[in-house]
Amino acid sequence: MAGNEPMTKVLLIEDDSETAEEITAELTDRGFEVEWSATGIEGLDTARSLRPDAMIVDRLLPGMDGLSVIDALRKEQVRTPVLVLSALGAVDDRVRGLRMGGDDYLTKPFALVELVARIEALLRRPTESRETALRVGPLELDLIERTAKRGDRVIELLPREFRLLEYMMQRSDQLLTRAMLLEEVWKYKFVPATNLVDVHMGRLRHKVDGPGESPMIHNVRGAGFILRTEP
Amino acid sequence: MEARKTPQLTLSRGSARRDPIGQAHIIRSNTFQWTLVVAGVFAVFVIVLFGFIYRQVDQYLIARSDKMIGSQLNFIASLRSEHLLDAINDHLKQDSRGVQYAGLFNSDGRKIAGNLERLPPDLQINDSIQTISIERTLPVGTETHVIRANARHIPNGDALVIGREVDETKEISHVVAQALALGLLPGLCLCLLAGAWLSMRAQKRVEEVNQRVQRIIAGDLRERLPHGGIGGPFSKLTLIVNGMLDEMEAMIRALAGVGNDIAHDLRTPLTRARLTLERGRTNATTLEQLQLVADRAIANVDQSLAIITTLLRLAEIENSRRSAAFGIVSLHEMLQEVCDIYEPIAEIKNIALRFGVQQHLNVCGDRDLLFEAFANLVDNAIKFTSEGGRVVIELIRGNYETTVRISDTGPGINDQEREAVLRRFYRSDKIRSTPGMGLGLNLVAAIVKLHGFSLAIYPGPGGRLEVICPDHRSS
Repeated sequence: MAGNEPMTKVLLIEDDSETAEEITAELTDRGFEVEWSATGIEGLDTARSLRPDAMIVDRLLPGMDGLSVIDALRKEQVRTPVLVLSALGAVDDRVRGLRMGGDDYLTKPFALVELVARIEALLRRPTESRETALRVGPLELDLIERTAKRGDRVIELLPREFRLLEYMMQRSDQLLTRAMLLEEVWKYKFVPATNLVDVHMGRLRHKVDGPGESPMIHNVRGAGFILRTEP
Repeated sequence: MEARKTPQLTLSRGSARRDPIGQAHIIRSNTFQWTLVVAGVFAVFVIVLFGFIYRQVDQYLIARSDKMIGSQLNFIASLRSEHLLDAINDHLKQDSRGVQYAGLFNSDGRKIAGNLERLPPDLQINDSIQTISIERTLPVGTETHVIRANARHIPNGDALVIGREVDETKEISHVVAQALALGLLPGLCLCLLAGAWLSMRAQKRVEEVNQRVQRIIAGDLRERLPHGGIGGPFSKLTLIVNGMLDEMEAMIRALAGVGNDIAHDLRTPLTRARLTLERGRTNATTLEQLQLVADRAIANVDQSLAIITTLLRLAEIENSRRSAAFGIVSLHEMLQEVCDIYEPIAEIKNIALRFGVQQHLNVCGDRDLLFEAFANLVDNAIKFTSEGGRVVIELIRGNYETTVRISDTGPGINDQEREAVLRRFYRSDKIRSTPGMGLGLNLVAAIVKLHGFSLAIYPGPGGRLEVICPDHRSS
């Protein structure tokens, strides 16, 4: 993913060395350059000197807690996107504030694939655009008329399907996990028992990928979904 | 748990050991101090009462004596002069107590008859009753007496004086003082004794309560406070505290039970994961086999994580008293949304998901939580209904409540499961993942309870479940 561009730098502030090792290994495999700090104060210093592209911060840290580190950086006008890790499941006001500010929050324990997907999403946050239409390959979405087309074929979408497709097109070529979709498209604050996302995605795929057309919505086994042009 | 450290408890505990029912305790005790106040008020009251009686009796006796003096004066003055001296002498002779005074003086002031040596100087001879002091000659010296007397000029010009000692009232005051001493002192003593006894009794009960409370703090949850049987306020308090202890014991035991259940629920998938990994490590020979083993282990670990997540969520809902965040929730819109989300799932199973609505109804609540509850109920209904079945959501308006009914053509919830859900619902009894149901229904129950709604589960066949939202009484 990194290609010829300079490697993306990620700062990891996490006090548990074993967790940190796994995360570092996984992110390195994915082509990131990872810097690890074990305490909040050390992490804050590293963040100032290293200027990372993204940070992963554990909420509970010895000395200075994760949210305080983020607050300190934000006061210095450092806008680096942050993914907060926490063993606290309850979503409180501070977390809501984080999410509003464009950062993300992941409850421990988590799957590594989820962590990577969220970091990628943070790094490639869609910019606020005034575009009235979205285009991915042959797929076209008119945000004003609320219509969808694949080539010349008009796709009839229900309102929620439209929202789902819009979200995916804004993040094409990105892995979107079920939890991300539930949070962002369905605004669910809980994980339902039945695999809702799969069923809705199945329907959407049925409409988007017509017979004879090359599939655009791909199921990544055990992880989530990707919308992309090439198979 | 911190109660152990409160200074009051330690204090009463320490001093109780040194001096179980000490004198200092009794005097300092509230009961005793109140008794003292009451005794003081009682004594003042009695003294005032006796003073009043004394004054009344005194006045009455003087008035009576004055009347007697008057009638005697009239009687003697009306006699002819030849009988006068005899009458005076007779009058004095009849007086055995020596309280009567009489005298006849000529116009020069010289004594003619009687027991008054001379006309008292401050006596006015004007036929009016007055208080004067006279001197009386004793074998040794003289003594002064205060008497009531009346004097009148009789026709021949002599002055007739009739008097009577009023020092009698002194005797009366003496008697009154005696009565006071006899009545008041034992009364006061009785008061003090009663006070001491009452405060001792209270102290003893407090001490007994303290000992039992110490045992409860030490962990003996079955201990209760003693109740005397008599319906006093103390007994009532004891009953209240015992009721509270019953409730707390039940809760603590339930909590312990929850711990066991959680352990059990977690152990099952973890055991499976462990066995899978152990067997895989020994038997797997290819990468594919090893990956299969890892996948199965991850699935089992995920299951135990899901249980923990749900349990934490349950605790979060039960602990949140966030009714402040309640707002008006349009049930109709919310249920429509739930239907939209689950419609594709129902369609895949060829289940007809129908939403019957009479009117648009609102309730007061937390939208996210209510959404979660109804989504869970619909999810369950679809899961347990076999292909070709039907799930119906109805919104019904009653007289005093709004009801959401979710019915399906599935097997329904059997008595045992219903029991488990409702028990957990009404008394925090057990979080048990009822077979096949997961913790979803428990979550629903917790949300429903938080809102002050009620959950009704009807016996099968055919699942029928109602969330009854009573109209809010106040606000």
